[in-house]
Amino acid sequence: MSWLRRLINTFRPGRLHRDIDRELSFHIAERADQLEAQGLSAEEAARRARIQFGNPIVQRERTRDVDIAGWVDDVVRNVRYAARTLARVPGFTTTVVLTLALGIGANTAVFSAIDAILLRPLPFPDSDRLVRILQKNSRSTETPVAPVRLEDWNQLNSTFEGITGFYTEDVSETSADLPEQLRRAYVAPRFFEVWGMTPALGRGFTQAEHQPGGPAAVVISNRYWRRRFAADRDVLGKLVRVAGTTAPIVGVMQPSFRFPDPDVDAWFPRVNDQITRFRQATWYTGIGRLEAGVTLAQARADLAAVQTRLGEQYPDSDRDITVLLEPLKETIVGRYRASLWLLFGGVTALLLITCTNVAALLLSRATQRRSEVAIRLALGGSRTTVAAQLLTETGVLALTGSALGLAVAAIVGAALRSLASDVPRLDEISIDGRLLLYSLASACVVLLLCGLMPVIRTARNGLASTAQDAGRTQVSTRSAIQWLLVGTQVALSVTMLSGAGLLVRSLHELSRVDPGFEPARVLSFRVSGNYAEFGDYTRLLKRVDTALEQLRALPGVEASATTFSAPGVPTGFQVEFELVEGRGNQGARMVAESRVVSPEYFETLRIPLLEGTLCRRQARDATELMVNRAFADRYLAGRPSVSGFHLANPSANVPPGRIAGLVGDVRESGLNQAPGPTVYFCSSAQGPTPYFLVRTQGDPAAIVQAVRMKLKELEPLRAVYDIAPLETRIGDAFEQDRLRTTLLALFAATALSIACVGLYGTVSYAVSRRRRESALRLALGALRRDIVRQFMIQGLRVAGIACACGLVLSITLARALSGMLYGVSPLDPATLSSVAGIVLVVTTLAALIPAARAAFVQPMRALRED
Amino acid sequence: MSASKNDILQGTLTLLVLKSLATSKRMHGYAITTHVQRVSADLLRVEEGSLYPALHRMEQQGWLKSEWGLTEKNREARFYSLTARGRKQLALEEESWARFTEGVGRVLRYV
Repeated sequence: MSWLRRLINTFRPGRLHRDIDRELSFHIAERADQLEAQGLSAEEAARRARIQFGNPIVQRERTRDVDIAGWVDDVVRNVRYAARTLARVPGFTTTVVLTLALGIGANTAVFSAIDAILLRPLPFPDSDRLVRILQKNSRSTETPVAPVRLEDWNQLNSTFEGITGFYTEDVSETSADLPEQLRRAYVAPRFFEVWGMTPALGRGFTQAEHQPGGPAAVVISNRYWRRRFAADRDVLGKLVRVAGTTAPIVGVMQPSFRFPDPDVDAWFPRVNDQITRFRQATWYTGIGRLEAGVTLAQARADLAAVQTRLGEQYPDSDRDITVLLEPLKETIVGRYRASLWLLFGGVTALLLITCTNVAALLLSRATQRRSEVAIRLALGGSRTTVAAQLLTETGVLALTGSALGLAVAAIVGAALRSLASDVPRLDEISIDGRLLLYSLASACVVLLLCGLMPVIRTARNGLASTAQDAGRTQVSTRSAIQWLLVGTQVALSVTMLSGAGLLVRSLHELSRVDPGFEPARVLSFRVSGNYAEFGDYTRLLKRVDTALEQLRALPGVEASATTFSAPGVPTGFQVEFELVEGRGNQGARMVAESRVVSPEYFETLRIPLLEGTLCRRQARDATELMVNRAFADRYLAGRPSVSGFHLANPSANVPPGRIAGLVGDVRESGLNQAPGPTVYFCSSAQGPTPYFLVRTQGDPAAIVQAVRMKLKELEPLRAVYDIAPLETRIGDAFEQDRLRTTLLALFAATALSIACVGLYGTVSYAVSRRRRESALRLALGALRRDIVRQFMIQGLRVAGIACACGLVLSITLARALSGMLYGVSPLDPATLSSVAGIVLVVTTLAALIPAARAAFVQPMRALRED
Repeated sequence: MSASKNDILQGTLTLLVLKSLATSKRMHGYAITTHVQRVSADLLRVEEGSLYPALHRMEQQGWLKSEWGLTEKNREARFYSLTARGRKQLALEEESWARFTEGVGRVLRYV
């Protein structure tokens, strides 16, 4: 424990000194007594005792050195000295600390998002073993899985601990006075077991609760428990009345369990009844838990083998099906990966820029301190001591900067959370040990990047280049490094600006796109419903159609329609069709986007009818379809008319539909997707909760209340939810793009301003060093503009070269952006050249101010000064 | 002071301090110097400047422990005493001293 004692002593120097002094003076006193006893006078005895003992200060120091931890003492002394020195130059210190806080803070904030979203495991036990399972047949994109097939997979596989599944629906909960929208997940057996989660209160579902005729049960989410039951601990056994059925609450989940989405309110056990045997059903999103040690590839091979066997057993329904496995984490956060790393690249460049900037500041400060260092070396200070001391100073700056940076990160993190509310897992961001460690690590990197060079240069400058020259008439050869640093800053800002510029251009292009329909003045919303309504499909259709009629009758409403998926919002459902020509003559394969809309859809969204007639509502036997121009051009080219052809969907168990007419091309699957061949099925409701679209004469938001009142009048037990103007909905679909662009632009602007400050500082420095030279030249008759030109050329040459380097760098890195751009090439010359132009103009201004100052030197005063 | 008095060879100071403390229960620094001087019949003399750093180092190493107390003359002094580890160290140092003197003796006796 002696090191501990020494450490304590190091931080209590006063007490240690007192103790040693007491001990030593006792010794001297005893010695004096002895000498006095030998016959010396008291005075003489004391004198001799002291002489014999030696220099008491040296003795004390030697004794003290044994009692303390030497290096700690050095560090403490260096830190104290650094703090004192830095306090004497508040301007410099503030600039450096704030710059570093900004750089480290932005970096830490983005890292915290990456850490929470991408790096940390999902908040479930052994979450790396959870996978999402979907199916796919050769004619369609991925689809949910039939319950019975999910059960087969679960029984026949040998690599999973369990496979379960779920689907969600929005229903209304009517146990209170007013109906309330409730998002419920219907879950397959083993649901909570596969997650490895148990309810915080109560229990999960029993096997009996999944059987027909078994007891009803519901597990509610923590959120719903707080909202609806005020976190009552006696909630178990209370009834939830949903969509005409009641179920007792058997459990309350833990707050961290919010799956399938954060809005889920309750989980219901799906009963395995007659319908669940239907192998064509596409219901469940499968979730599986791999056995420990099983790789994804093994599981994939295993399920593929299982499915091959099922294909032999049930050739009609299963032969064509392949199983799709994906790590669950990928499903949840995968689409944010590219954006986050892009932003991280941006903030890392920003941090580099701040580092070079601080390095330049430290260098110029080191130059100012050359004589101090020279004197210290001359007086016998070792280079190591001087270097350690300078490094400590930078360390103090870096640590203060990173501490402040954590505060910046907390603010930026809060801003991120409010800006990007739909990004999953953002609420898991917290300032914890990992983040602390990260910002400490960045401080160390900063320390090495900006601290080492000035330190090495200062400590190397030996006695030779001491105070004698005092920077008299030197031409600034020494500032080559400064120029290099400034150049780096400018080059990196050019790269960041190019990236941001391309993203801005891409968003701009996107906003100029003609979607093919008019999203303005359209209100969209949904009305709660549930899949049980499919039991009486005619009634479901009647309900939706009645609602549509009533809505149309509202004053201020021009048209109303329903659609299964919101237009202009990225979704996709590709289906393969077959053209039925003449007598069952099977035609070519046609892959097209499939959409289910009510016939008024085209009128409501102002999509032009180009040919034929509008389709009629789906009747039992005769389905009517519309196709778009792209479909006609690709698959029906050269035919006089599209109407009258029949399209069959081989994967669905429905009769072929008749094409009634041709409509204009619409960017249905997102504004960034060129319209592809599309087939519209005319039906008001494919699902229980289609989107309602209402075209209004005025502001769509103004009609919300009237719509709600009308629907309440019609069906008081249904909840209206998810209300938003269509334009907002389409805009929200590109929220991630917008956020990413805004942030990158912000970082790039910050980078450019820091680089400008750096350039300004460096030119100012050059100007001040060559003040005498300028003054002399002016005195000898040089024109002011020559002086200005001289400094400007120096500054601009560096800016120009840096610009070129930055552009080369952006062209090299452009590929990283290519997946994020719409309508702009990653090498877009217009963007790159305007970025270069902007940077050149701004840097010219930054160099002009100090250069102009050089020209207005009073020659006589400047020459007399030294 | 006089040149006849041997200054203590570096390294033997530890041995002398340990041995002195082993013979009596506790001693302050001054008492150790007088003890060594007296017992060695004035042949050895502890250099006062080296004593205290040595005492403190030995305490850091856990061979000694110290406490403040009063002397007979009612002065405050720091008293040192031997710890168990100090006793072990003493045995080691005595042994190595014996080897050392024996070695030196053999060299000197060799003709």
